[in-house]
Amino acid sequence: MLSVRGVTKKYGKLIANDNVSFEINQGEISILLGPNGAGKSTIIKSIAGLLKFNGNIYINGNENKSISAKRDLGYIPELPALYDMLTVGEHMEFIARAYSLENWKERSEQLLERFELGDKKNKLGSGLSKGMQQKISICCGLLPNPKVILFDEPMVGLDPHAIKELKSLIVEKKSEGAAILISTHMLDSVEEFWNSTNIMIEGKIAARRTRKEMEGSGEDLEALFFKITEGDRINMEVDK
Amino acid sequence: MKALVYLLITQLKNRILSLKKKPAMLVLYCFVLALIIFSIVMICISDKEKSTMQFADERILFLIIAGLGLFFLYAFTTSGLSTGASLFTMPDIGLLFVSPISSKIILMYGLITTLGKALLGSIFIFYQIGTLKTSFGYGFTEIFALFIILALMILFCQLMSIGIYIFSNGNSSRKNLVKSILYAAIIAILLITLLVQKQNQVGTLEAILSVVNSKWFGYIPVAGWSTMFFIGVVNKSVISILIPCALYLVMGILIVSLLTVGKADYYEDVLVSTEFTYQNRLAAKEGRNISRKINRKIKVKKDNPGIGNGKGAMTFLYKHLLEMRRRSRFIFIDSYSMFIIVGLGIAGYQLRIKDASDKAYYIALALVIYFQYFATMMGKLKDELIKPYIYLIPENSMKKVFAASLTSLLKPCVDAVCMFAVFTVLSGLNPLSGVFFALAYAASGAVFVGMTVLYQRLLGGQPNIVVQIFIGIGILFLVMVPSIGASVAAAVLLPKKLEFLCTLPYSLFCLLFTLFIFIVCRNLIDKTEYTGKF
Repeated sequence: MLSVRGVTKKYGKLIANDNVSFEINQGEISILLGPNGAGKSTIIKSIAGLLKFNGNIYINGNENKSISAKRDLGYIPELPALYDMLTVGEHMEFIARAYSLENWKERSEQLLERFELGDKKNKLGSGLSKGMQQKISICCGLLPNPKVILFDEPMVGLDPHAIKELKSLIVEKKSEGAAILISTHMLDSVEEFWNSTNIMIEGKIAARRTRKEMEGSGEDLEALFFKITEGDRINMEVDK
Repeated sequence: MKALVYLLITQLKNRILSLKKKPAMLVLYCFVLALIIFSIVMICISDKEKSTMQFADERILFLIIAGLGLFFLYAFTTSGLSTGASLFTMPDIGLLFVSPISSKIILMYGLITTLGKALLGSIFIFYQIGTLKTSFGYGFTEIFALFIILALMILFCQLMSIGIYIFSNGNSSRKNLVKSILYAAIIAILLITLLVQKQNQVGTLEAILSVVNSKWFGYIPVAGWSTMFFIGVVNKSVISILIPCALYLVMGILIVSLLTVGKADYYEDVLVSTEFTYQNRLAAKEGRNISRKINRKIKVKKDNPGIGNGKGAMTFLYKHLLEMRRRSRFIFIDSYSMFIIVGLGIAGYQLRIKDASDKAYYIALALVIYFQYFATMMGKLKDELIKPYIYLIPENSMKKVFAASLTSLLKPCVDAVCMFAVFTVLSGLNPLSGVFFALAYAASGAVFVGMTVLYQRLLGGQPNIVVQIFIGIGILFLVMVPSIGASVAAAVLLPKKLEFLCTLPYSLFCLLFTLFIFIVCRNLIDKTEYTGKF
């Protein structure tokens, strides 16, 4: 469903992503882990078609910048980007119209209700708190019913109810067959439902595990994360 | 004290060193510096030559200084009544305010950094050396005086804003008192102008110029002081230079005393405005368009119809129309339109009563096109390019770019119709010329929108405002030279009856050039990166 092949992204001399490759299948939740500056957001933005890169990214077999790929993709950015002059309801209408969606109103209502935004439909984007903006951003990303969903630090700024609702939505989307990629620092929040993980360091994939592999070896996600990220630091210090 | 000196020097050093990583900015700074040095040298050389040229009425420049002063006075008084102003940044609050350094020394540090910024911000005056020399025959002394007075106005107004905030914060009767004084002063100036006009039987502009040039006006804070200072420099009158300097100094000392005397604690007073400034800067960094931020509260009715129309890429057009409806009741007519319609109307009336030559009408057209360039720098397409949606929506790039630019293309058309209708009536211009003037204005608007697309395609983003002002307009002028040339040729060659057609070559070129840009940059969205900021 989502195929990332040899993606390299440079900002001047800085290599943000270095030959990154991974795949996420239908009905799979994959988490992207790594310390700050590891290149997680960059790869997510590259998949979303927001950045130029070397390599190939396919969404349902279509090149990621193609119209067919965009139709299948949902992207929830790390920082919510709302229009100041549109209300909550109009954000949903905007997405529905821009994506040429049919029968979207009921789905929109449900999403807004789940995130406790039902009574805020007439509130302008500029008058909302960061957390509420993040909730709308999630609703906008999920309204077109995407088959591949990218979440960039989705839990940041959300209240406990919204976190709970988001988790259950992610699991629902998985059971509907969506391929989901989540970049996060909050290991606890994804502990229950992840299927595979890619741990990034300095723009590269440093380790890759599936849940089955880890359960077989008795490894723990948090321990693996620190082993990889801090072990790397120790290795680098030894190299020096 | 040592820590603050270290902070000042280190920040300055790091700012200079950071240019190593921004070669484009370094080139720009070098270019601007070279231009300023070149202009100063040219002025010094030409100062020695005797000029026989006829210069413009220098009272116009006095009026500009007075106008700027009044604007500063109004803007900073208003901000003083709400958030105040700040000489500090958020790191200053987090690190300095809690440190064991005297608050008076920290205030000095704030004043020095603000003065530095004010001087740096006023340096653009030197860029106008050529214009000031050719228009008014000014030399280095006068231009340097302008530079000093502008920096002084900025610094003093910041201080005044803090002073007003301290005086009026949380006290509505004091706030009303300040407001009353401000409005009374403005009304008094207007009434005196009307009186002068009636007594001397002169036009509005002549009356305003007389008022600004009068002695009593020189005692009005900021606007008058600055004008008196500059008139003093021009007329080499030491007293006229010293009086405003003394007034600035005394008032400055008074405000600083208000901040520091006794148990006065200015930390809390500057906190709100520092946070406010920080939020605005953050918004600007993230690409949120604060220049279009409106302060009035917008009420959305429960039965509001929403976007209501559009599908696919065209949704952007209807969304923009909704946003514009929320910002202004008249959708395309906003405060900029009103300002330019009124301005052009007054200019048209003046041209009529002075029986001005045809050239003057074309100068008026060129001026409004020039202003439009700056107004278009914050177009709707730019707003979309700093949000991810335009990149994510499954539509063809060309359609999205066109749909997101449509309102920016339509606005100059609406503005053009309104402003040239008024101009034609008030100036007595041939109505056909008025139509073609409007077409030229609208076509120029299309080119400016096209330039936004071109910048994004070539540079992968929008050049900053300084680059646009210094280089963008130069490049634009070069691009437009053939069309302007063709229009000038048409004006010379066409018979008097068909003279109204002389702006047509220019308009056609603009429209074709815009079309060319849109076709060449049709894959803009696929080929540029989303950076989330300008």
